[in-house]
Amino acid sequence: MTTQRIDLPQGTLDLLILRTLSLGPQHGWAISERVQQVSSDVLRIQQGSLYPALHRLERRGWIKAKWGTSDNNRRAKYYELTRSGQKQLEAETEIWKKLTAAVAQILESM
Amino acid sequence: MLSDLLYRLRALFQRNAVESELDEELRFHFEREVEKHKKAGMSDEEARRHARLLFGGQEQVKEDCREARGTSLVESSLQDIRYAIRQLMDHPTFTVVIILTLALSIGANSAIFSVIDSVLIKSLPYRQPERLVRIFLTTAAFPKFPLNPFDFRDYRARSKSFDSMAAITRADLQLSGGSAAPVKLNGFLITSGYFLVLGLTPELGREFDIRDELPANQLHVILSDRLWRAQFGAAPDILGQKITLNDQPYTVIGVMPPGTEHPGNAYNPLVYGEDVDIWHPFSNQGDPTRRGSHFVEGYGRLKDGVTPEQAQSELNAIQVELGREYPTYTGWHVMVIPLTREIVGSSRRMLWVLLGSVGMVLLIACANAANLLLARAGARQRELAVRLALGAQRSRLIRQLLTESLLIAFLGGALGLAMAIGGVKALVSLMPADFPRAHDIHVSAPVFAFTFLISAATGILFGLVPAIQASRTDPRQGLHEGGRNATGGGRLSRLRNALVISEVSLACVLLIGAGLMLRSLLNLLHLDPGFKQEHVLTANLSLPDVQYKNGDMRSHFFEELTTNLSSMPGVESVGLGSDLPWTGYDDNTSFTIEGKHPAPHEDVHTRYHVASPDYFRALGTPLLSGRFFTNADRKDAPAVVVINHAMAEKYWPHENAVGKRITFEDNPKEKDWLTVVGVVADVKDKPNSASAEAAFWWSSLQVPFSNMSLVVRSGSDPQALTNTVRNEVKRLDPSLAVARVQLMDAIVQGSVSTPRFVFVLVGLFAGLAILLAAIGTYGVIAYSVSQRTAEFGLRMAMGAQRLDVLRLVIVQAAKLVLAGAALGIILALTFARVLKSLIYDVSPADPLTFVAVGFLVIVVPVLACYIPARKATEADPMIALRAE
Repeated sequence: MTTQRIDLPQGTLDLLILRTLSLGPQHGWAISERVQQVSSDVLRIQQGSLYPALHRLERRGWIKAKWGTSDNNRRAKYYELTRSGQKQLEAETEIWKKLTAAVAQILESM
Repeated sequence: MLSDLLYRLRALFQRNAVESELDEELRFHFEREVEKHKKAGMSDEEARRHARLLFGGQEQVKEDCREARGTSLVESSLQDIRYAIRQLMDHPTFTVVIILTLALSIGANSAIFSVIDSVLIKSLPYRQPERLVRIFLTTAAFPKFPLNPFDFRDYRARSKSFDSMAAITRADLQLSGGSAAPVKLNGFLITSGYFLVLGLTPELGREFDIRDELPANQLHVILSDRLWRAQFGAAPDILGQKITLNDQPYTVIGVMPPGTEHPGNAYNPLVYGEDVDIWHPFSNQGDPTRRGSHFVEGYGRLKDGVTPEQAQSELNAIQVELGREYPTYTGWHVMVIPLTREIVGSSRRMLWVLLGSVGMVLLIACANAANLLLARAGARQRELAVRLALGAQRSRLIRQLLTESLLIAFLGGALGLAMAIGGVKALVSLMPADFPRAHDIHVSAPVFAFTFLISAATGILFGLVPAIQASRTDPRQGLHEGGRNATGGGRLSRLRNALVISEVSLACVLLIGAGLMLRSLLNLLHLDPGFKQEHVLTANLSLPDVQYKNGDMRSHFFEELTTNLSSMPGVESVGLGSDLPWTGYDDNTSFTIEGKHPAPHEDVHTRYHVASPDYFRALGTPLLSGRFFTNADRKDAPAVVVINHAMAEKYWPHENAVGKRITFEDNPKEKDWLTVVGVVADVKDKPNSASAEAAFWWSSLQVPFSNMSLVVRSGSDPQALTNTVRNEVKRLDPSLAVARVQLMDAIVQGSVSTPRFVFVLVGLFAGLAILLAAIGTYGVIAYSVSQRTAEFGLRMAMGAQRLDVLRLVIVQAAKLVLAGAALGIILALTFARVLKSLIYDVSPADPLTFVAVGFLVIVVPVLACYIPARKATEADPMIALRAE
């Protein structure tokens, strides 16, 4: 089976990271694996954009990082959602839903 | 917001920790990826390769993370600075040359800017100085004439344009009494409200009010802070005390604070800055219907919102009314000039010319620096190519190279500022004595800001082109081992040539400017001044009215003094006159010529002086016809005048003026006629005046003034006569001060100090410019020679002689320099008109200057190229070819 991979549209990466972290703290590798799995391999986050995005979100105060031990007993940097990150996630989810609904409406009605 | 800041600060200050965390994080990710692939059945090696491919450029990821942290700009700049410092340390000669040349030119700019800031930009030390104006009368013949005191009083009473108005006139006082020798004080008679006009308040006591203008209160004085400290030990109880001035008891009613600056006077003798010692009240005495005499200078503070033009038209309307009310000459117009313009007006153009010249030096230094950087860029091409090949962005490279040039510029700027601080002191000491606000000049905050700005601008100006140029390096070309870079080289060398041409042309403009000023200075120094300044000592004496009550007493004193001094050893002749040449004297009177009837309203005006029999002899002013005064031209003898050549030409053209008669009376009796007995040569007002004013002299024995200048001509060193003069005066009258003792030589030197000042500075800048241009040319040729070593080697292997190679290089240099010189001459011809007011008796297109400068500007840089040219001839064909 070949799955077609789609490049992430601008601005969605932050949303996906926040959503993934809303399920609980995770390290970078797990976040990218999770997104890939859940999207049935359609979406894949490149490391080259994942880590800069994590650092950017951390700077904005939406996620915070702490060092923990991974399932294979290695030191790993875990990110978790902060209170303002939670709000940001809700706001962005809302916007995303409106956007996709509107785009879908246009696509279907024409 | 706060968390953002904390995050950035941690990223910045715990950079190493943050970086190693990032490393660890990325390593963890990589290893999990490898594990994943292994689980899927790949071999270890295969899994690693796969993960690495997926990972992309590790360094790029890190760079992006740093970017995301929001500190990359600061971080990479610090990194760039460290890198730039390393680069500069690795090339000490390059660094020293470039920083020193920039420091010299930035320093010179800052120094000149200090002067401009202090003189032209900083406001005058008065309250709301923009509302202060000077009030003059004006006609075609006398553009700035003093006011009549009664007219002034009427302006003050009738005009509505002014908050306050005041008039002053010079009146020195002699301080005596006590044990110290008598001193002459720089004094002014002032009307009430003079300090109110300026917006200054006394530190002790009060200023004159309207009651002080009454004759009864004339013996009141206000002291300067300096006089109060120097002569009265800053006594706190000075108010109300009586001091002896001109042998009369004056009461001190006020002391002005330090920083009380004289707003300037056009009427002689001039004083500047804080040199006024004392002020006493001016009262209007005499017959108010007689308004022919003009000797007070008007000042005013305009009401808010009133323009000088409005005030001027109001005063002119009043002047017309006055003309109807009083039978007086009606040709005068009132002129109102903003005080700032009056004070700095004449030096404005000179200062802008200086700033322009020094700005050109900075441009040359920029071109020079750009050239040196371009040469370096050539050498750094491989390094840059490698970095581009490794994925560095062009903009990043440009930023890094610009950091380097900015670092150079700021180092140059800092050093330049230090030079400027010293330079400004030197500049002020070089300045002419009458330079406006010279005492105000120092390096201040705006100068620091200016230096910072021009340093930044300089860094960008000379760094940007080389940086862009370097970032265009083609990685393939640059990486090519031993690549001669034939394609990029053409463009690069055209750019370098253009820079050299502009350097040479700017240097040429400056040299031509300096040349014109030198010519003009020499012209002034070799001008026939109408007197012989060598071996002449001068001094000023002023006889107090209280003691010397009438003309006979004054004549007696002065005659005795001259007779006694004439018999002293070493003295050739002794004269006394109302004034000395070139000291700003300008007293005028109208008169009537016997047998001539001027048209109505045609005012026959001329300057008047007083001279003793030996005055002209002592000054060395030649007699053209007739005779000098003699001791017989005294009180009861027929009244006589000596006139100058200009007056003879003006009123008796094609006639012999000797024997003609003039009078000052409207209905002259026989005794009111004065006969012209002699015509003397012209002495111009200033050495650079276009022509001399028409003037006549009264015999000092017939019209004895109380304030006279002593002129002593010595057979040898006139300075040695100083004590003789002082002792003789002291012997005759111990209470008399001998003031302004100076050599005529010094007066003459002082009168050319402005052109000399401008010449010295422009000359210095031009010298710096030609040096920089020579360095620039040298740099380009040396670089080109090093690039063409192989070619020269080949040529010599093929049989070319050393001379041929030498010629080849010199011709290359000469082409650039010739182009620069030609361009410079065209520029100079365009700009020279600006200099017109600063040069004397030299055409702005003076062929001698242009030819001499053209020669210099071509020869010096070409000579500088002799060294690289010699090197070219030493190219060893074998070595050169092997390098290929």
